[in-house]
Amino acid sequence: MTAALPADPLPHDPMPGCALPGTPLADALPGINACVHCGFCLQACPTYLNLEDENDSPRGRIFLMRSLLEGTVKPDDPSVQQHIDQCLGCRACEPVCPSGVPYGQLLEATRATLRESRPTPFLARLILFVFAREWLLRPAMFFSRILAATPIPTLLSGINGRLGFAMAMLASTGRSIERSRYRPVRHGERGKVAMLRGCVMDGLFNTTNRATERVLAVNGYAMLDAPGQRCCGALHAHAGDLATARSLARRNIAAFERSGAQFIAVNAAGCGAIMKEYGHLLKDDPEWHERAARVGARVRDVSELLAAAGPREGGPLPIRVTYDAPCHLQHAQRVTQAPLTVLAAIPGLELVPLHDSDQCCGSAGIYNLIEPDTSDAVLAPKLANIRATGAPWVATGNAGCLMQIGAGLIRAEISARSIHPVDLLDASYAALGQ
Amino acid sequence: MTPPQASPAQTPSSTVSTQSAVAERLAEIVGERHVLSRQSELLVYNSDGLPGYRRQPKLAVFPGSGEEAVAVVRFLAKQGLPFVPRGAGTGLSGGALADDIVVIGLHRLKKIISLDVENRRATVEPGVVNLRLNKHVAPHGLLYAPDPSSEAACTIGGNVAENAGGPHCLKYGVTLNHVLAMTVILPSGEIVELGSKVGERDGYDLRGAFIGSEGCFGLALEITVKLTPKPQTVRTLLADFMSVDAAAHVTSAIIASGIVPAALEFMDGPTIRVVEDSIYAAGYPRDAEAILLIELDGLEAGVAADLETVRRVCLDGAARNVKVARDEAERMKLWQGRKKAFGAMGRLAPHLIVQDAVIPRTKLPEVLATIHAISEKYGVVVCNVFHAGDGNLHPNIAYSADDPAESERVHKAMIEIMRACIDAGGSITGEHGVGLDKMGYMEAIFSETSLNAMCELRSVFDPERRSNPGKVVPVHACKEWRAVSGGRLRIAEPPAEVHEPRPLEAEPARPSAR
Repeated sequence: MTAALPADPLPHDPMPGCALPGTPLADALPGINACVHCGFCLQACPTYLNLEDENDSPRGRIFLMRSLLEGTVKPDDPSVQQHIDQCLGCRACEPVCPSGVPYGQLLEATRATLRESRPTPFLARLILFVFAREWLLRPAMFFSRILAATPIPTLLSGINGRLGFAMAMLASTGRSIERSRYRPVRHGERGKVAMLRGCVMDGLFNTTNRATERVLAVNGYAMLDAPGQRCCGALHAHAGDLATARSLARRNIAAFERSGAQFIAVNAAGCGAIMKEYGHLLKDDPEWHERAARVGARVRDVSELLAAAGPREGGPLPIRVTYDAPCHLQHAQRVTQAPLTVLAAIPGLELVPLHDSDQCCGSAGIYNLIEPDTSDAVLAPKLANIRATGAPWVATGNAGCLMQIGAGLIRAEISARSIHPVDLLDASYAALGQ
Repeated sequence: MTPPQASPAQTPSSTVSTQSAVAERLAEIVGERHVLSRQSELLVYNSDGLPGYRRQPKLAVFPGSGEEAVAVVRFLAKQGLPFVPRGAGTGLSGGALADDIVVIGLHRLKKIISLDVENRRATVEPGVVNLRLNKHVAPHGLLYAPDPSSEAACTIGGNVAENAGGPHCLKYGVTLNHVLAMTVILPSGEIVELGSKVGERDGYDLRGAFIGSEGCFGLALEITVKLTPKPQTVRTLLADFMSVDAAAHVTSAIIASGIVPAALEFMDGPTIRVVEDSIYAAGYPRDAEAILLIELDGLEAGVAADLETVRRVCLDGAARNVKVARDEAERMKLWQGRKKAFGAMGRLAPHLIVQDAVIPRTKLPEVLATIHAISEKYGVVVCNVFHAGDGNLHPNIAYSADDPAESERVHKAMIEIMRACIDAGGSITGEHGVGLDKMGYMEAIFSETSLNAMCELRSVFDPERRSNPGKVVPVHACKEWRAVSGGRLRIAEPPAEVHEPRPLEAEPARPSAR
């Protein structure tokens, strides 16, 4: 072999200067650079599997992010905005990524950057506006609670479109498991815990919040109050409104610092995920960064605290339950076993495996209201899989998933109901009399 | 099998010339949502798993059924338009890039058409993901043997195009050995059956010619694959070494002992450490300079004996430890680390260049030493992770393209590494294909006669050179290439002048693509 080897140009072109200097996206470049384009994320992505276009895959969206920085696409390009908007933010791509691309952070940075060049949809803006303000959130939740107690949501849950879906979501919140009252014996030997009350959890899942306090008490945690706490800011961060998310985070950090709690218990996976990442959210804030990281390190999903304590076995609850893993619990927090450990502490409970339980349900915060078509497409196989289990209960530990699956079950006329694992454990303790 | 037929209504016939008119006609076939023509939406289709190469397609079309795919190809044939078929875009040679022409994405064709457990075969559409096929057949005690490291993402259609390999091809053979038959649409729009579901057909093996043709011969729309019974026993060993040289010698010694392992994989120190930093950390010893991952399968009794032999060969060859996976979970962990190693290298630097060369196994020690010397000379870190059993090297270099000096050093190092592989009697690609990336090396290993023979073979399937133009064989090596204007949406001149037939000269046998 004598032919000379070619002097072909090295294929990589250097980035010709950043097109969006000083933006959150420019800041995220190292995370973008970690992507080697291997494509291992494709089959984990619910929007890629449903929309069948790589623009709607993690690899494709990262490529769009890079292209935004290179200047080959502009932030006001409607198709780029559409594909970034269509991401559920489920982060199922993260645990399969060999390079450890922090996709959730890249998405937030991109949305924050795009937000500057176009308005957020009105409905999203309205929801975010209300959630950031106690004086609006309380009456809104009060009104929702009153409405949920009437037959109206159930009556309207069948109508087409988002209004019908929203009504079905409300209707699904009033269908928890019956249980008798019990008074937990309080030892508190496992440490002091303050709970994030949350917005939707506090407003529509108050039963679950009370159950969370009781089951933690039964398992040896001393429950403290943390007054002054607010919405966690997850919805705002996911929509790219980082300023509001940070302001809410600072209030929560201060509130939980004051409480003196060793652990911060969170029973909504989406809230827990962002709180654990408060350090990243405030990374550029010299005054708050360390405090944020310290508070973030004390955050636990309620199932983690319960699993660490056993949890204590309850009374018999002979029901069939299937479990759906919330994305922000399994992918963002990487908590997979703890909820199953909680369910295993309930004698008589039969856990029916759910096919593709690791797939997103399409809730994704307020995504189901903003991107209804894609959300429905992602929800459809979930409902079919739930139907196939024949189980009358679907346990899942996140407010959004509870309502998304709950609403889907109502609208598809499947008799199963969604429920938080903590409610099941609580019912089991109630059966024991404590 | 009934070949997919296009209904006449689905094949718009009059000639159209503008991009928007072509897009409109394609949208009539596949639906508007599945045709992309905006520049900003086509960007993500401008690279595959080797993103250093970028070529912007003119249009992307994603048929949702075999019938739609047929209609698309026939429409493009009528218009005389070139196109590039694309699977999941996980290729590592730039093979699925479309330079200003139409890209046909086949990822929506993901039906497993039939599974015949008794005869151990399955018929699938080209967009079925390799791992999904394996999960589908696993409950029946069967598996599809070719297991490229990208199995979780790559498609069977792409595997056919590249004649994909994988760790277990050492014992089980490559894609070529596991595809029985295909329904292929030729670029002309004609549908042909290649191979036979029941066994070898008489005559020339056109199926064999098609597999590994890198999308240049047409599109396989239905692929019937052979399924393999799961072995009774599988044992996986991890041997770690304090020198690359020792591991390389042991590789040859294992094969020389007469044992054919199901897989025999090599990872060097830098690769071990990058994997251990990732979520696919497999428990490889971080301080080792090399590990061998050796899998033995077959009947219980035979595997037990082989296991002892391999263990002894490893220890005799200065292995520090030899560990056998205790259970399936540990075995999977060891394998996941190996299979995700390529992806994990994004941790080292923003850009990655990956090579794929085959050398005679016995030359491993000296070639690896040469590669090490080259990496020292240029001050670059080479991560070696490869299929040692069949001498298929994958040197990877992570670097920053933003640093021109570093880029230059990486460039020179890679050329010297390839040179060393070729000088050792090797080949330029084991399993990634030639695509764009290796095209420049083709003339270094093939004579003009051989290259012309390849061009002539291509003429049989695609006389107009419209399917994946500008790949595999360098343009100037094929005289008839002049007719195609190198990837414009419109072909400037009438296709392909007729080529004078020439006798084939004897060509020294090359290691088969794997």
